[in-house]
Amino acid sequence: MSRFNPYGDSSGGSSLAIAGADFAILAGDTRHSTGFSIDSRDQSQIADLGDGLFLTSNGFSADAKQLVDDLRTQIKWYHHNNNDHKLSISAAARTTMMLLYGKRFFPYYVNPIMIGMADDGTGAVYSFDPLGSYDREPSRAAGHASELLMPFLDNQVTFANQLDPQTGEPRKRLDLDLQTAVDLVKDAFTGAAERQVQVGDTLEIVILTKDGVDRQYYDLRRD
Amino acid sequence: MAGLSFDNYRRNKSLEASGVLPPKTTSTGTTIVGCKFNGGVILSADTRATAGMVVADKNCLKLHRLAPNIWCAGAGTASDNDKVTELESSQLEIHSQWTGRAPRVVTALTHLKQHLFKYQGHVGAYLIIAGVDVTGSHLFSLHAHGSTDVGPYLALGSGSMAALSVLESKWKEDLTKEEAMELCSEAIMAGVFNDLASGSNVDLCVIEKGKPSRLHRGYKQPNQRLQKQRNYNFDIGTTSYFEAGSEVFYISKQSDLETSAMEVDQVS
Amino acid sequence: MFLTRSEYDRGVSTFSPEGRLFQVEYSLEAIKLGSTAVGIKTKDGVILGVEKRANSKLMESGSINKIEEIEKHIGCAFSGLTADARMMIDHARVEATNHAFNYDEPTSVETLTQSVCDLALRFGESGEGQERVMSRPFGVALLIAGYDERLGPQLYHTEPTGTFYMYDAKAIGSGSEGAQAELQQKYYSNMTMAEAEILLLKVLKQVMEEKLEAKNVQLAKVTKEGFQLYTTEELEKLVADLPADVDQDELAELS
Repeated sequence: MSRFNPYGDSSGGSSLAIAGADFAILAGDTRHSTGFSIDSRDQSQIADLGDGLFLTSNGFSADAKQLVDDLRTQIKWYHHNNNDHKLSISAAARTTMMLLYGKRFFPYYVNPIMIGMADDGTGAVYSFDPLGSYDREPSRAAGHASELLMPFLDNQVTFANQLDPQTGEPRKRLDLDLQTAVDLVKDAFTGAAERQVQVGDTLEIVILTKDGVDRQYYDLRRD
Repeated sequence: MAGLSFDNYRRNKSLEASGVLPPKTTSTGTTIVGCKFNGGVILSADTRATAGMVVADKNCLKLHRLAPNIWCAGAGTASDNDKVTELESSQLEIHSQWTGRAPRVVTALTHLKQHLFKYQGHVGAYLIIAGVDVTGSHLFSLHAHGSTDVGPYLALGSGSMAALSVLESKWKEDLTKEEAMELCSEAIMAGVFNDLASGSNVDLCVIEKGKPSRLHRGYKQPNQRLQKQRNYNFDIGTTSYFEAGSEVFYISKQSDLETSAMEVDQVS
Repeated sequence: MFLTRSEYDRGVSTFSPEGRLFQVEYSLEAIKLGSTAVGIKTKDGVILGVEKRANSKLMESGSINKIEEIEKHIGCAFSGLTADARMMIDHARVEATNHAFNYDEPTSVETLTQSVCDLALRFGESGEGQERVMSRPFGVALLIAGYDERLGPQLYHTEPTGTFYMYDAKAIGSGSEGAQAELQQKYYSNMTMAEAEILLLKVLKQVMEEKLEAKNVQLAKVTKEGFQLYTTEELEKLVADLPADVDQDELAELS
């Protein structure tokens, strides 16, 4: 006899973020599924929090939605209390941590990733675990396909465990240019869609630079 | 098959009780359909095989030949389908040689259901069996526990609801071959696009009276791999190593080395 | 008969028919009894200075403390009831620490000032679910000096009424009237920190009853580097180097 389980695997796919010297990218597919059924092919999972901050939270989607609402409320109060001062990405990351850890014993079942432009003008990616442990990172993947996406990012963004054939020294991480990063995101997702059944339909990419926000959409396989 | 070994049954039960999960089997978590038309019968299947939520095979063949005039489509556990159909095709071959006649579809069906019933559903084969024989054209479905169904159109597997929605709304009596092929592939595509365990291509097999059976491998290919944006080739020397060395292997025959080229990224 | 002041100056939360809260107004009088405190803002930082009034020759002047650090980047001078100031400063320190904990950034000076003022009206009878902190209004005014990334150096003045304003230069306490007039005359916006030090000491010297000495003033500054109290040695040097009164006009000319 199976009982109703509120923490079903109702989920908003997979997401990925890359930080550059002067940009940050957050991408996710728009497929939403429960078990082997597709709930939606067009469900954006990238939330615009305002103040140039964007968030995805993979996992249990009702909790993800609640977290976004919590954060928007927090940001609104920050503006009230601080003379409409913009919430910086580092402060937003700490706020997210406080919200998550505040539910230490009844946690949100989510793995959030947040992007924004840091105070020094560099692109910032912050990732969190469900209890609030967080860090700023060069790149991060979350969601069902994270096991497929993350090794690819380690390999192509941070050049983990690679040698420079010329010097024999560990290969240096380059500052990615925006086009390369976007291409990596596309290849990561078309690759993940090949092998992960919950990834597909449309790839949504949010690109953050000092000039503003750009949203791009690309087709993924729909099977 | 000399019989299945149950040697580790008790060990695996106790492991399971202590929290060790059984290994994931490859599942053809599948969409398969069969449909009769006015000159024979058609079988069709998707080509995705999954291990959990991961695609194990993007283009596997789920249509099995039991005899020249009898084919079956399999859903459920991939290895059970492979083995049970391989076994049945041998048995039918022996049977038809013994009797000197082409085998009948009910013979295959009856034999298979007896086998599956004996294993009480533990052999996870869910089949749609189709063929033409001296008594006409036939279409049956067979569940892992041994129950069978007959019908003018049938669907099985995790995508069967999607496929059936197409079959129920568009099937009509006295379909032509072309109409039946279109209907079957459309039903499979409904599974391919709406059931996550089904995907990739549509295979289709046409079995007609008095004609050789025709397998259309990759009848529809609606999910081609998109062109990659970048090349992922590594310079020689990228991978570090502790020690270099070589060993000589002696090859008795040169033909042992002849292997097919691997599918790799093209170097631009 | 109801128009007499005494009818309406007892209840802290009762308006007079003219719409005044006498107890709050009286609290402003308490500040005027306090020792003078002065704050001056320059483009590089803010300087705070207070007069230390020793009641007795036997009193250890080092034990008088009228300037406190709230956070690394915020300091505060006060005039009025010292115990009330302690309470507000305690609250300010908690708020500043909480902000740093919640947002991983130093609190802005304005936010901190606001949070101190939020405390000002927590007197009288307690409302539903709200804690009553005090039975009367505070009897102290603060000069909050700080430096943050957004607005640079800032100087705020808070009153027991719960209002606060930003100032270029401000004096509070018993000598505030004369000191403020002096500041009005002598302050100019592109003052250096060294010039502000001199002006501050001069203003204090003018309004103090006693002779200005290193041991009866306290000085602190808040710059990009943070809050810092002047050491006795620094004060001694500043007082010694202070130009004589005759140079007063010279200073005026600079402005």
